[in-house]
Amino acid sequence: MPDNQHSFVIPDDQSIPALVSLLQETFPVQVQAEAVYKRVFYDTFDWRLYKSGCALEVHDDGQSHRIYWRADKDGKLKIQLGLKKMPRFAADLPVYEFRQQLQSVIAVRELLPQIKMRIKRQSLAVLDKDKKIVVRLNLDVYWYSTSRLRAAKVLTRRLTIKAVKGYSDDFRLVEEFFLAMHWQPAMDNVMKLALIASGVNTGEYTTRLNLRLVPDMSDEQAFKIILLRLLEIMQQNTSGSIKGRDTQFMHDYRVAIKKIRVALKQMNNAHPQAVNTEYKHFFSKLGNLTNPVRDLDVFLLQLENYQPDFKKSGWQQLKPMHEYLLSTRKEAQKKFVEELKSSQYREFIEQWHDYLEHSETPGSSSDSSGKEVYKLADKLLWGINQQTLAQGNAITENSDTEALHELRKTFKKLRYLIEFFNSLYPAGNLRVLIQLLIDVQDSLGEFNDRYIQIGMVKAFIEHCPDGDAIKASEQIITILEQQQQAAGKKFRDSFMAYSSSANQNKFKEMFVDYYKRKK
Amino acid sequence: MKTIAIYNIKGGVGKTASAVNLSFLASLDGANTLLWDLDPQGAASYYFRIKAEIKGGGKNLIDGKVDIDDYVKGTDYENLDLLPADFTYRNMDTFLEQTEDPVNRFSKLLKPFAEEYDYIFLDCPPSISAVSESVFAAADILLVPTIPTTLSLRTYQQIMEFFAQQGIDKTKVMPFFVMVDSRKKMHRLIVQHPPSFMSSLLNSYIPYASEVERMGVHRAPLTVFAARSKAAKSYTTMWDELRLHIHLLQ
Repeated sequence: MPDNQHSFVIPDDQSIPALVSLLQETFPVQVQAEAVYKRVFYDTFDWRLYKSGCALEVHDDGQSHRIYWRADKDGKLKIQLGLKKMPRFAADLPVYEFRQQLQSVIAVRELLPQIKMRIKRQSLAVLDKDKKIVVRLNLDVYWYSTSRLRAAKVLTRRLTIKAVKGYSDDFRLVEEFFLAMHWQPAMDNVMKLALIASGVNTGEYTTRLNLRLVPDMSDEQAFKIILLRLLEIMQQNTSGSIKGRDTQFMHDYRVAIKKIRVALKQMNNAHPQAVNTEYKHFFSKLGNLTNPVRDLDVFLLQLENYQPDFKKSGWQQLKPMHEYLLSTRKEAQKKFVEELKSSQYREFIEQWHDYLEHSETPGSSSDSSGKEVYKLADKLLWGINQQTLAQGNAITENSDTEALHELRKTFKKLRYLIEFFNSLYPAGNLRVLIQLLIDVQDSLGEFNDRYIQIGMVKAFIEHCPDGDAIKASEQIITILEQQQQAAGKKFRDSFMAYSSSANQNKFKEMFVDYYKRKK
Repeated sequence: MKTIAIYNIKGGVGKTASAVNLSFLASLDGANTLLWDLDPQGAASYYFRIKAEIKGGGKNLIDGKVDIDDYVKGTDYENLDLLPADFTYRNMDTFLEQTEDPVNRFSKLLKPFAEEYDYIFLDCPPSISAVSESVFAAADILLVPTIPTTLSLRTYQQIMEFFAQQGIDKTKVMPFFVMVDSRKKMHRLIVQHPPSFMSSLLNSYIPYASEVERMGVHRAPLTVFAARSKAAKSYTTMWDELRLHIHLLQ
C-alpha cells in the first residue's frame, strides 16, 4: 500500500452513517455526495493478464467510461486509454505501444468481463481553517460478481484515508485516530480479494497436459490418464468453440483432438481393438471439421501483414478474395458447430468418458498390453525419432510437398508423444530437445500453411470473374510462394541442427539409455 | 512521464485557464498530475486555492538546495498536485543564469518526478527568456494557445522563427485556437482555414466563453462548476485529442 494512504476494513457492527457521524464529531469534515461506480476487470478465459501481473479495467461512474491498463507489479497506472469502447481483441486497438504490450500477453484471445464490481462510495474531506481539503476519506462498500456467480455479493467494506500532498500532519492525525481503533488493515488488491472470495482458480485452465505417469504403471492405465486429460481440454473448449468469437478455443480443442488421434493410433495395444475402430473414425471426422476453420483463421490473420506490399488501390482489389475467405470460414465454422451441437456428438463424448473413467482394464493378449508404460514410451519415442531422421534425411530440394507434409506429421507425433511421456524421464535436456523440435515443426508448419493458402487463393481465382481481383490475388500467391521457399530453407537449417550427432546423442541418452542404465 | 508546457509570448491568451483545465482533466483520468505555476502572478495557484508562496523564495528551488517535492501541495482534486508560484519567480531568469546549465535546468529539476507523475503541466509566464528556453528543453509538448487574429498569428510565427533559430524541435509545438468568437468573421475564417505554418494545429479549439472568466470566482476548473458549458466540453475534447497524441508518442 502506498505510504500516502491507509485502508481499514470497516467492522461488521459499524454502520456507515454512524461512522460518518463519528467523523463529523471528531474532525472538521465536509461530507460529499454519495456516488456509485462500477469497475470491471477484463481478462482472457485462461487469465493471461492476471497471471502476467497485468490488469485491464473499465471504470464507469455513470457519466464517463474509462479504460485503464496496469502492467506494473505494484499496480501503478500504466496507461489510461482514450477509448470509447472496450476492445474485444488486441487487434481491435490502433497500432501503438499498448497494442503490442497487450498482444504479447493475450495473443489472439478474447477479452472477457471476468470480475464485475459495484462500489458505493461516501467521500468526506477534512478541511483546514481556510476550507482547503487537507485529508480525503472514502467509505466504500464493494459488491462483486464473476461469470460463475450471478448475484452480486458484498466483497468488502473499507475506509481509506488519503493524504493530500503538503499536508502530512493532518493525515497522521486522522490515521492515528483510526489506528487506535484497531481495525483490520484492508487488502490493497481488490481483484485478488474477489478471486479469493469467489473461489476462482486462475491457474486451473492450461493446455499443458501436466501428466504424472509412473514408469511401472501399465500402458492401459497410462493410456486412460492421457486420454482423460485430453477429453478434459476438449470439454473446457467446447462452448468457446461453439461461440466462435475467440479462435483460440477452437485451436485448443483441435490440438486436443489431434493428440487423441495420435494416442489412439500409437498406443493401439493399450486398449481393445473395438475401441480403436469405434472412436478412430469419430475423432478423425471431428479433426477434419476443424481443419478448414483453423487454416482460414491463420490465413485471415496473416493477410493484414501483406498490406504494406500493396498500393492502396491494389489492396482494395483484394476485397473479393477476403470476402470469399470469410464466407468459406463461416461455412466451415457452421458445419463444425453443427457437429458439436448434435446429439450424436454428445452421446459419443459421454460413452468415451464412461469408457475412460469406468471400464475395466482389458485383459488383452496383445504383446504390449499390461506391460510397464516406460517400455512402450521408450519404444515409441525411439522408433518415431528414427522415422523423423529417415524421412528428413531423404528430403532433397526436389522432394515433393507430400514428403514434407508426411515428415511434418511424423514430427508432430513425436512432439505429442514427448508430451504424453515426459514425466517418465529426467527433465535435464528435455527443454533443449523440445526447442529443437519446435524449430523444425515451425518451419514445416509454415511451409504447409503457405501450400494450403496458395490452394485457397487458386480456388478463389478459379471462380472469380473480376480481372483486377485476380491480378491482386496472383500477387498474394507470389508472396506466399516466396515465403514457402524461405520456410523450406529454414527447415533444412533446423533439421540439420536437430539431426546433429550431439543432439541425437542427448535424445538417445534420455529416451533409451536412461532406463537401461537404471537397471 | 510527459511534460506539457503551455506557452505564449503574449499575455491574456488563456494559458493559465488552459493549464488549469487540461491538468484537471488529466487527473480525472486517474493519472498522477502535477501543475507547476511558473508565472509570478500566481493565477493557477489562486485558481486552486493554494497560496502562491515558496518558503525561502524561488532561488533555493532553482539552485537545487532544497527538495522540490517538499513544496508540492495537493489540490482539492484527487491525483492533481500543484507546485505553487512565488513572487520571486519574477527574478527566475537571474536564478537560472547563475546555475551551471540554465537550458537544461528544468529537465534536471523535474527528473525526480518521473516516477511519481504521469503528466507535468508547466504554466509559463509570457516572455522569451532563460525561463522559457529551459521550459522548451524540458517539455515533450509545447501547447501554444493562439487567438485567431492577425496579430496573434504573427506572434505565433515569431515564436516559430525563434524556435528555428534556437534549433528547438518544432514537432513538439502544438498550437490551438482559444477565445474563438464565432460572431466574428475573422475568427471564423481563420479557424476554418488555418494558415499553413500552423501544421500541427490541434483540431479542437476553445470558444470565447464567460464561464472561463468565472473560474476566478469559483476558483475551480470549468468541469467542476460548469461541466455542461461549451468551454468545458471543448477542453474535454481537446484533452481526448492530446491524450491520443501522447499515446502515439510512446
